[in-house]
Amino acid sequence: MKMSHAWRPVILVVGAAVFLLIFRTIYVPSDFTAKNGDYKYQWHSLRDEKYWMDYPVKHMGQEFCGQCHPDKVEKITASGHQKVQCESCHAMTSKPATKHPVDLKEDFKYLLEIGVDSSRELCKRCHAKLPYRPAEYSESSKGTVKFKMIDPKIHNAGIECVTCHDVHTAGFK
Amino acid sequence: MVTRRDFIKAGLLTVAGMAIPISALEMFKPEAMASLVRSFSEKKRWAFVVDTNKCVGCGMCAKACKLENEIPFDADVQRTWVERYIQLKDGDVVIDSPKGARLGFTSNDPYGHEIKDEEITKEFFVPKLCNQCEKPSCVQVCPAGATYKTEDGVSLVDRSWCIGCGYCITNCPYYARFFNPVTNTADKCTFCYHRITKGKNTACIDACAFGVRKIGYINDPKSEVFKIISTQRVAVLKPEYGNEPHVFYLGLDHIVR
Repeated sequence: MKMSHAWRPVILVVGAAVFLLIFRTIYVPSDFTAKNGDYKYQWHSLRDEKYWMDYPVKHMGQEFCGQCHPDKVEKITASGHQKVQCESCHAMTSKPATKHPVDLKEDFKYLLEIGVDSSRELCKRCHAKLPYRPAEYSESSKGTVKFKMIDPKIHNAGIECVTCHDVHTAGFK
Repeated sequence: MVTRRDFIKAGLLTVAGMAIPISALEMFKPEAMASLVRSFSEKKRWAFVVDTNKCVGCGMCAKACKLENEIPFDADVQRTWVERYIQLKDGDVVIDSPKGARLGFTSNDPYGHEIKDEEITKEFFVPKLCNQCEKPSCVQVCPAGATYKTEDGVSLVDRSWCIGCGYCITNCPYYARFFNPVTNTADKCTFCYHRITKGKNTACIDACAFGVRKIGYINDPKSEVFKIISTQRVAVLKPEYGNEPHVFYLGLDHIVR
């Protein structure tokens, strides 16, 4: 008996579905999962979670730099700049960077791009007098102190701040 | 002929019959089942607190973030940024954030127009970052399934799956996402997932000398974030979108958008 013409599209549809299922099994990585079954937001590859966890840590701060430069860190932690991290001034963004000459810890494999940004513009980021900057600083270990601000147009305009000021002691040279 | 009695009987049977699959769905809801095994308090959830009262707009957070996460420094894209709000006496509100404040705010001239002190009623800085929503709309719209939320509440982008269509960028009510010109994928703040999972603070918190930012588990009674959220007055940005953002602001003003 001749096969009914209706079977041909049925075979086509079933075949396409089987093909898609096989293709999906091969194409979708085996580590695709949704923890706790939250398929709405958590459907992902576990490998990528690891990618973000293993991303290198770069901003190290005083604790790390103090391993080789304890004198500098001691000075700054005793000063008004105690909460300012090394990278705030030493990470280069505005000038061509120089590579840090020493081999750093194993978990810190790339070379730090480092230098000194001693420009007036950098100091102004915190110390330029703006009408809405808080007048007091409460993060210091000495309690609440006055936050030092200057009017950059009047206060020795055109001279670099480091001519008179020592950044590490937050005082005069 | 259907009698009234038969009609009511059949009606009640239909309703009862329909209720069974609905309640079965509820019963086998994966999240609900999981919560029976693991109680809510054990499930860690990251949250962030921003104290806008303390921010001076130095932009060290934006700078540190760019260096930490390798976002091109001169490109006008950022994972975290600082906005300046100036309300004038004539009622206007001036908002600016030049290149995400990566070089800080050093003078009172938004968009190059100097504003005199006597014209101002109030002014402040608002640092912003990804709100790591409980119901992230960016994750919902991703056609490639490249973006997802981790178990501890941080939304991440799978760079090898992202096709760069930009739906998530337009769907974020907080403008927290951008197109990364180096990886050619969508990019966003990860709460420095590589740092917080190692017990460190995020780069922006480390770089802030003013104690504006804090991170911690929202359901850990020992964390500072928990203490602030449970004892002080906090607000979130754009709650009307229903995303349940997890960045909480202290001292948030109504002019902030």
